[in-house]
Amino acid sequence: MRKVALVGGGLSTWGVRSATWGELVQEAGSQLFATTRNLDAKSIDSLFVGAAQPERLAFQSHVAPMVAELLGVKPSRFIRRVELACASGQTAIHDAYAAIASGLSDVALVVGIEKMNLPSMPEATTAMANVLDRAWDGVHGGTAPPFFAMVAQRHMLEYGTTAEQMAAVSVKNHRFANSNPTAQFYSKTFSKEKLLSGPFVSPPLRIGDCSSMTDGAGAVLLVGEELAKNYTDTPAWVVATSQYSDFHNLANMPSLTDWVGLRKAAHDLYARGRTEPTQISLAEVHDCFTISEIVEYEGLGFCPKGEGGRFVSDGQSDLGGQVVVNPRGGLLGCGHPLGATGVGQAVEVLGQFQSTVAGSRLVKGATQALTHNLSGSANVHTLTLYRRAN
Amino acid sequence: MSSATRPYLLDFYPLEDEKYTRIAPFFIHLRAGRLTTTKCERDGSVHWPPRVACPNCHGTQLAWVDLPRSGRLYAFSALYLGLPLGMEQDAGAVVGLVELGDTHIKIFSRITGRKYEEIHIGDAVELETFDIDDGRVFYRFKFKV
Repeated sequence: MRKVALVGGGLSTWGVRSATWGELVQEAGSQLFATTRNLDAKSIDSLFVGAAQPERLAFQSHVAPMVAELLGVKPSRFIRRVELACASGQTAIHDAYAAIASGLSDVALVVGIEKMNLPSMPEATTAMANVLDRAWDGVHGGTAPPFFAMVAQRHMLEYGTTAEQMAAVSVKNHRFANSNPTAQFYSKTFSKEKLLSGPFVSPPLRIGDCSSMTDGAGAVLLVGEELAKNYTDTPAWVVATSQYSDFHNLANMPSLTDWVGLRKAAHDLYARGRTEPTQISLAEVHDCFTISEIVEYEGLGFCPKGEGGRFVSDGQSDLGGQVVVNPRGGLLGCGHPLGATGVGQAVEVLGQFQSTVAGSRLVKGATQALTHNLSGSANVHTLTLYRRAN
Repeated sequence: MSSATRPYLLDFYPLEDEKYTRIAPFFIHLRAGRLTTTKCERDGSVHWPPRVACPNCHGTQLAWVDLPRSGRLYAFSALYLGLPLGMEQDAGAVVGLVELGDTHIKIFSRITGRKYEEIHIGDAVELETFDIDDGRVFYRFKFKV
């Protein structure tokens, strides 16, 4: 297969934005074109749009041609929207990777986008409840917070994980977000004490344990190996991808606290990339809730099962630790515009390899990074492995 | 909640009538106080939720079987913030995974009768059916007294 390089990235500002779905797309696209040398819209042959619920959240379907028009692109090989709930953006990157690696595309644009803040918040949260099995789980009030609350409850019971350890995830990621001007929580103060005294969303998860409803977009450019040098001297090489899905209805989940699908996807990713967890410099993982990041340390093999809480409280996922997790600020610090999140993670990996991110979150000498999104009730795991050197 | 007045695509409850679904018997049984599901007559696997083909062997000869009406809480939480449209008035409601009898089947459900602060993992619960105002029926669990 042909090698594939990620050569450019751009983001809108993420947060509660006074901007429409399409305006956010234009902000991110403009950033990509402004920061990627030699990028000409005419050279883009394919467009993959990661968007989870434009029908519900922007009352718009058939969004890919809308994005093409907004960014002045006329795709001739592939044009489509990719939907995998919270993993829509990273999955769109996978499709672009596959198209280029196969030789069917040469230059592919990936846009990730979600506009989640509506005048009616219950309407927006309704679009979250149909991500689970709507007629059997969502109907009872099954949305992400109560599901991940049960994960936290069982992890605390089975492994002794504490609210303070979960808070440590949020404190770390909000601190990183303070050096990321596109993040929802940029320049906002956050502390463990503030989190632990905040209101419950679904106990034991308090508001500071939860990622936000966010408006945001991102765009990245992927190209075939021989074209990479036209656009950058330092690409992020896409080395391997993996996904795994093992259930949908909550009754069919193997375990609340041991995400079997993540262990399987991680095993496949490391095998395909001929690497191992100890060789990962930085990981952008799906901290939709604090407990998620803790379970992910374990599933990704960064620490033994049940020791995720101690891993973060010992600083092993911070700068200077074993692996720097979520230096971008994560979903907790950046916000979580569903379709944009995976694209934002890829932009961070490129910025880290190019040393263009703020020094206070720079992982010096990073050579290998992974990105991870879960979607739904952690019933799909989507992973990408990047390397600085080809 | 008024399902009858809400557009179908904002209504969480499944359509129950045989005009719309092939698992209408589930709701007929539920009306009679029975929690049932499908069992594959070829490979013996019991499904949740009910299916019209076995996801394991793809056989289509399925039988209706009764599930236990009682179970124990395996995990639980409550809905305090971020409730969907039509559930805003349910703030504080308890939800959880109920392990049914000795089946090892854990189904997610609303659970009524006690506040979050008053419950524990392992508490005993039992099936409760209730009417939706447009004539449909659905299920949840309640704490055993």
